[in-house]
This record gives sequence, C-alpha cells and structure tokens, in this order.
Amino acid sequence: MVDTKRLQEKAKEVLIRDDVRRLIGWKRGTYGFEAAPTVITDASQVDQLIFDATCVQNPASFISLEEKKPVPRGAEPDTRKIAVMVKGCDSRAIVQQLVEKAYGRDDVIVLGIPCRGVIDRRKAMKMFGDVTPGNVSLNGDKVAVEVGGEKKEVERGELLMDKCMRCRYPNPLVSDDLLGEEVEKWADDEFADVDEFEKMVPEEKWKYWEEQFSKCIRCYSCRNVCPMCYCVECVVTKMKPQWTRRSTDISENTAYHIQRAWHLAGRCIECNECQRVCPVDIPIMTLNRKLTRDVKDMFEYEPGVDAEAEPLLACYNPQDPEEYIM
Amino acid sequence: MGDYKFAKEKLAEVLSSLKDYKVFAPVAVGDVFRFLQVDDPAKVTLEFANSNVPPKELMFPETETLFKYRLGQTDIEPEVPDAGDKRLVFGIRPCDALAYTIVDNLYNWDFPDPYYQNRRENTTLVGFACADPCSNCFCPSLGGGPASEKGLDAIMFDMGDTMYVKTLTDKGEAFAKAAGLESAGDAEKKAAEKQAEEALGKIGRSIDTKGIPEHLPSLYDHPFWEQFSDRCLSCGICTFLCPTCHCFDIQDEAEGFDARRARMWDTCMFSEYTLHTSGHNPRPTRKERTRNRISHKYSYFPEKFDVIACVGCGRCINYCPVNIDILDILEKSKQAEAKEAKTA
Amino acid sequence: MSEEFEPNIVAFLCNWCSYAGADLAGTSRMHYLPNVKIIRVMCSGRVNPLFLLNALQQGADGVLISGCHPGDCHYLEGNYYARRRFMLMHKLLEHVGVDPGRVNMSWVSASEGAKFADVVKETVEKAKAAGPMDQFRRRQLNW
Repeated sequence: MVDTKRLQEKAKEVLIRDDVRRLIGWKRGTYGFEAAPTVITDASQVDQLIFDATCVQNPASFISLEEKKPVPRGAEPDTRKIAVMVKGCDSRAIVQQLVEKAYGRDDVIVLGIPCRGVIDRRKAMKMFGDVTPGNVSLNGDKVAVEVGGEKKEVERGELLMDKCMRCRYPNPLVSDDLLGEEVEKWADDEFADVDEFEKMVPEEKWKYWEEQFSKCIRCYSCRNVCPMCYCVECVVTKMKPQWTRRSTDISENTAYHIQRAWHLAGRCIECNECQRVCPVDIPIMTLNRKLTRDVKDMFEYEPGVDAEAEPLLACYNPQDPEEYIM
Repeated sequence: MGDYKFAKEKLAEVLSSLKDYKVFAPVAVGDVFRFLQVDDPAKVTLEFANSNVPPKELMFPETETLFKYRLGQTDIEPEVPDAGDKRLVFGIRPCDALAYTIVDNLYNWDFPDPYYQNRRENTTLVGFACADPCSNCFCPSLGGGPASEKGLDAIMFDMGDTMYVKTLTDKGEAFAKAAGLESAGDAEKKAAEKQAEEALGKIGRSIDTKGIPEHLPSLYDHPFWEQFSDRCLSCGICTFLCPTCHCFDIQDEAEGFDARRARMWDTCMFSEYTLHTSGHNPRPTRKERTRNRISHKYSYFPEKFDVIACVGCGRCINYCPVNIDILDILEKSKQAEAKEAKTA
Repeated sequence: MSEEFEPNIVAFLCNWCSYAGADLAGTSRMHYLPNVKIIRVMCSGRVNPLFLLNALQQGADGVLISGCHPGDCHYLEGNYYARRRFMLMHKLLEHVGVDPGRVNMSWVSASEGAKFADVVKETVEKAKAAGPMDQFRRRQLNW
C-alpha cells in the first residue's frame, strides 16, 4: 500500500532541492482506467501526484525523451537532476539505461514504489464498459473497483495486465528512496507462452505473423513509448541509407518489427508498454519475450537487473553456444 | 428523400445484394474493428463503437502509388488510375463522414487532388447513427452530432431488431434501391428521431470553440503548452487515428528497373517531419510540435477554410498512451488566455 | 525441360579467413555451387544482422555469414560478437516463421577451401528445401 500523502511529501522534499530540475510521476487521468504521467517542476504542484493500480505508464521513458537544447552563449548547461517515480518494472528501464550509460547514476533521483499490479484497460473496458472508475485498490489477490457508485471485487488475473501475473520484480531494483513497503513476488515467469508458441511449425508461425503484421499502420507508437528506444536517429526513419521503406506492405511491416525486436535483444525489460499502446492490437511482446527467454537460456543474462553488468551484445563468452554453425 | 428499413438479421443479405458496389464495412479484426473491403458479408458487424483506424484510409490510403516508371525513362506521364467500381462505405459514423467534408477543403485547395477526388466522387456513404456515444466523444461541439447527416448519402439507425435507413441524396436513394430495402413508416422515423435526441443527451464532454481559433496564436510563447508536451512521446498515434489529419510524405521506391512514386501517411509529431536537408529543424522539441498540431487544427486550418479541423470523435483522447487530452488542452488554453487578458 | 528452383544465396565473408578460403577454393579449381553471391567484409563482426533481414527482403532465398574460427579472429574478438548476434537473429527469424535453413553461419579458415565448398553446398541444399523466399520479399506489393 502506498500512502499518497507520504508520496506527495517526499516529492515536495525532492523538488525543493537546489539540484533537482523536475519530477516525473503520475496524476489522475482525465478519463477511464489509466493515470496520466506528469512532469512537475515546482513543489506547489505535488498535490496532483498519485499512485494506484491505474498508474500503468513507464515514467523512465521520459528521462531520455527530454530534448537537449543548445545552450546559449555564455550560459551554463542545466546539469540538475531529474527525479523519477518508478514501479518495479519501470526501475528495470532505469537500470538498463544506466548499463548503457544513457546518463549517470547521479543524474537521476529514483523514488521507488513497490507495485502489486496495474489495470489492463482492455480487460477493464470489456468488464465494466466505457466508464471512469472511482477508487481502485488492490487487496490481496483481488482488485476492488468503484464503478457507478458501487464497489466491485474481481480476481487479479481478470483485471490486471498479463505482465503483472508473472512479475518477477515488483520491487524497484534501484532507488534512492522507497515510498512503500516491499511486496512479495507474485509468481515466477516460466515463459510458458513462448513454449506454447514454439510448438507451431514454421508455416503456422508465418501465417500468424503475416496476419498480425498486415494490421500494422506503422504509427511507431510501440517504438516511441519504449524506454529502451531512445536513439536520436532511429534506423527505421533513417533516409541515407534507407533500411525500411515507409510503405505499409507486409514486407516493410515485417522488417520493421523484426528490426525493433532485434534491437531490443538483451535490452527489453518487459514493461509491455509497446503492446499496451498498439492501436491495432499486435502482440508485440510475443516477439520480445522469445528473445528474452533465449537470452536468459543461452547467455544467462537478464537486462535491467544489475547496473554494473555489461550490455549483452557488448561482451562475449568464448564458450557461447554454437548451434546451427557449420 | 426516402425512409426505408431492413431486419438486422438480414444484414448479410443486404450487403450481398450490393453487387454493383465495392463495399467497405466494419469487420472485427481480433478485438478491434476496421473498415475493410467485404469479402464475406457474414463477417460484417454493426455491434461496434467505432473503428480505431478511421475510415479515412478508404479515401486516402496509408500507402498509395502516384505513378510508376522505369529507371532511365525520361518521358514520364503520370496516369491517375481510374476510379474503378463504384464504392460504398457501410456503417460509417457521422463524425468520420463530417471529417471527409473537412479534408475535402484541403484536397481541393490549390491543387485538386485527382486520386482523392476520384474516390470521393465514386463513393456512397451510408452512415450509422450512434445510439450510445463513447465517453470521450464531443462531436456536437464541432458541428456534428451522433445523428448528424452532414456529408452522408444515407443514415441508418439501430432500432433493435430493425435498422431504419433515411436516404439523404440521390446516391443514397440508389443504394436503397440496389439493396432492395422496404419502405419504413412514420413509427420508425419517430423512433429514430427520439434515439437521436437521447443520444445527444448522452454526450458527456464538450468544449465551447468560440474564440479559440483567434486566441490560440497569441499563446504561441505561453508556457502552458509544456504541461502537455513534457509528457508527449511524439508517437504519432493521435495523427494516425485522427480522421481529419491528412499529411503525407512522398517517396520513390525502386525494384530493379521498375520504380514507383508513392505517398504514405506522415505525422507532424515526428521530429523528422520538419527536418531540413541542412540539418536545421524549426520544430526541434515536442513543445513546438504539440503546439503546432493543436494550433493547426483549431486555428490555422479554420483561418483558411472556416472550419475547425476536428470532428470530436475522441480517438486521440482514447488512444494517447500518456493521456494528453485535447479538451484538457483547449480548456487550459482558455484559462491561460484569461490570465493573460487579466494581466494585460 | 523442368526448371529446378535455384536459390539465391547472399554470403558475407570475412576478408582474412573466409574470403581467403573461398579464394583458395577457386584457385584450387574446386567446384562450388554458383548460387552464392559473395560480399566481402573485413570481419564477420562487421555484419549487422539487419543485413540478413534486408537480403531476405530483397530476394535472397538464403544468407550465410562466414568468419574465422573462434579464437582466430584477425581482429581478436569480432567473430565472438558475430556469433552472439547470429544466434539471436537466427532464433528471432525462426520465431517469425522463416525456415531456419535460410539463415546460416560457418567458420571457414583461409586454408579450408574444401570446407567452403561444402558449406556452400549445404547452404544451397537447405535453401532449396525451404523453397523460394516469398514470405516478406519486396515484390511490388500494392503497386
């Protein structure tokens, strides 16, 4: 349980520091079952901060999103820190960004929030319709939702995101301050979904993906929401040379998704944001989780866990597996 | 025009009888609905709120060949493809049809776009009034409504077991005849009017657009934009799913010696949108791009064409990953303007 | 006369070992199948796995990366990185439904001309078994 008052107090403490530029957290959304990320710069704005099961977005994505504007002549660059509130899965993004040296540990203040799960908007809308809930709380293995004045209780698995049901890291892996009590890990992730998918023969797999990739409108929301996709110039929009054309046929769509999954090999921290935001419901995590599992099996590596680790593809082991190599 | 009806269970039959038309209708693709060309009328459903990807893709497809050529060819005469078979969009919501009338302004402006025009003239729009508007719809604030007839050739109302169809133009009449619809009586007409009224009452959100086109430019340097742009991901989902957004990029593609020039949807939310060849970018950060998008829709477009480039369909609100709510922005802009006026 | 399908193989060979090995096969007049189109790179570690994807998009029926044996890389470590990348890309493409026989890697040293000929033979056989690459080839779709 996270005490909102304590959360806001802590945020205030952080914001009045001289060396903090802004704080990223969540505030009440304008509708529906999801909160809104918010960036506040002044201690007077801390009242809007909340944390509950609607806080589904990953604030760690915003650290690298802030554009570095040119510094006017004679002025000093602003080197103040950014404070970020993160759940367990979000903290993995910070750890992985530190591994890749996107910024230094001293550039961020991490306010960790142990998390017991967030609501899946799609499940919620199927269950309750197009409504905005009142209070939402997690009690043990049930979720209590206030809808239309009535309090309803449902099983966790029926309302929370699938990723929460197999969350291995509910407690932030890096934090300067913990804003709640640590929680027990809910379950271990056996990657059963990946095993299930692998039972298909190549023709069936391609049939599945052809249908999925044909839906893609190349809005690139999956890429933009991903905390690990922070390249200033992305390979898919590069023009000289052009790797992937902008036309939305099966060839380019497939190439785009494979490129993105490839670039996330050993880096995807499974926040599932890509799948949440896709407007045509492409099961992007099915691609990413395959590589996550293989990276774990083949190289015993898990991204976003150890800030001192080296990036997966920047190191090697002379005894690396060598199947299929002639 | 005329009043008609058909039994909902006969939907597949009605669609099958439209043999002269290429029919596009809402089809479930997984949990999501999309307007696709109908190959199996049984797959069409009218139990949907609205499609995620708007039916604008039927008038200006996401990727469209402008013309083909061979590398080395020096006398290229672009041929605009024939309009082809007559087309019919079945079940389009009034907001999306209104959006076509708005986008018409642009595609007919300094250069009449023949690709768009051909499709537009060749398509009959059979609308579907909303009995239960979504929570984020605000179409009445922008001149539309759950049963608005603007831009439609016919409009249908879901009366439970029957669909009441009101034809509005000759094209609509032609559709009714082709579909073999039976005439409807006063009872259905009255019931439809009642439904329309009730639906209007169910709209939960609104914005008074008076004065917005005029005051937005004055807020160009105002810091209020930052509270939204700070969390914008520049993902472009708002533009891809917006029925009035119409920007496109043109690129050449070659395969061996055969090549084509194609246009595909572009978005002003990407930083590459305004990236010059020199490397300079006049909209380098999300603040400029967010400000530009809202200002374009609510100020620059109405300045030229006397209509706000928004139909209140609510898709941008529903699908923005970070809850950037256009009504929130407009309300805050009014507050910002009021504050400025006070201090002035 | 029946036209048997002849696959198009694009091979990325490292300059110091595999390319030299292929050269040795040529100068020793060893026959190796003509289906392979060779692109010389300085090291197998230079090969971006997206090259494989791009090759398949452009019409290759199979791809091959070949480098120095592990431990013998001219640049000391390049082939170790290449090995990691290839393993992951292979798994990813297999997951999408691309026949695993299309995506190949081998270690061929400068003296292994015969091995190069064998590697090419095996790659071509696997690609033949997989058939023409039509899954996501650019073929003027929607033109």
